[in-house]
Amino acid sequence: MIKLLLFAQFRDQIGKQEMQFPIEGKTVKELKEILKESYSFDELDSVMVAINEEFVTDQEIIREGDIIALIPPVSGG
Amino acid sequence: MSGLKGSTYMKRYSRQTLFSPIGVDGQERLRRKHVLIVGLGALGSSIAETLTRAGVGKLTIIDRDYVEESNLQRQLLYSENDAMERMPKAEAAKRRLNEVNQDVEIHSIVGDADVPLLERLAPNIDLIMDGTDNFDTRFMMNDISHKFHIPWIFGSCVGSFGSTFTIIPGKTPCLQCLLKKLPMRGQTCDTVGIIAPAVQMVTAYQTAEALKILSENQWALRNTYVTFDLWQNQTLSIKADSIKNADCYTCGHYPTYPYLQYEATTKTAVLCGRNTVQIRPATSTNCSIAVLADQWKKAGYKVSANPFLVSVLKDEHRMVLFKDGRALIHGTNDITIAKRVYHSLIG
Repeated sequence: MIKLLLFAQFRDQIGKQEMQFPIEGKTVKELKEILKESYSFDELDSVMVAINEEFVTDQEIIREGDIIALIPPVSGG
Repeated sequence: MSGLKGSTYMKRYSRQTLFSPIGVDGQERLRRKHVLIVGLGALGSSIAETLTRAGVGKLTIIDRDYVEESNLQRQLLYSENDAMERMPKAEAAKRRLNEVNQDVEIHSIVGDADVPLLERLAPNIDLIMDGTDNFDTRFMMNDISHKFHIPWIFGSCVGSFGSTFTIIPGKTPCLQCLLKKLPMRGQTCDTVGIIAPAVQMVTAYQTAEALKILSENQWALRNTYVTFDLWQNQTLSIKADSIKNADCYTCGHYPTYPYLQYEATTKTAVLCGRNTVQIRPATSTNCSIAVLADQWKKAGYKVSANPFLVSVLKDEHRMVLFKDGRALIHGTNDITIAKRVYHSLIG
């Protein structure tokens, strides 16, 4: 199991800020595809992904116990 | 030092020089620095006020918009009067900042932060602060920062959510490394709102980092991407070093600065979430807004003007024309309709 942390529009879309996911062994890219299909998250191309408080690329492999944060860029200012 | 002299000067900044990492020497270093603030909405006005009070030597401030009533809830520098008179933000900000601290030289620009302007300003700038509300301008600033080796401090917020990151050319990853490409339109302040503390939190981080850079305490820089939600009580501080991309078009080994080239061709922009289109002539002109205002009045349109701009109501659209020839057309997101309104009034 891994823990997924959601911010801004992703949090609003799901209605909670954390989710558990059995996704260890898959890549970040595969995680994005699953989220797109299961929860119709869009704009995942420019979302930033951090694992255990460190940014990672789409190729990163997810491990048991990882805490993954999806951080959407917002433009306001 | 036109305002307060000698010992008064030191007294003014005493609580800042007592803070040992800055000290008297750091204060003197702040006084010799020139900061560019792009955008003077919520982030930009808070940044401008903090840096002015801190005694930074010179600020160049740029904004293309004017003050509206809905700004007053969070944009610190503006008054009800500014909103009523539709004062350009850069001008209203300058007036207020001059009242706050006469020591600081404020150079205000009412206009678009486009490539030619940024390239002209860059050689004299020590630090660029992000006060914008759109990624088009941020990607341009990111390219300018790397082309001219100037640090810049990204900040953005919406709702109760905010993010900031300090970008140092040659050291940290850049905005392009973080986002890969220009993001699609996401949430904006006009669709989901914004609370002032989210703004203040972002600018507290941004200006703390600015003081470190300007007082030459780079060793103290944070080095992480901070993101938080003040309502949901979430905070993350994320290491970013590993995503610096050696092939990045902005900060990699062979940069091409793509957003400096792209922007050069843009003449219209839909202002994110504002139901507004901006139209900018290919070269900036100095148009006689008084003459145009007269013509429109005679034609029966509802017109109001100040020395910097004229506002005219045509059917359901309101057009605001600035002296440099730039126009904002409110009431549409459609460039074609906006152009039609623009050309119907200006020819």
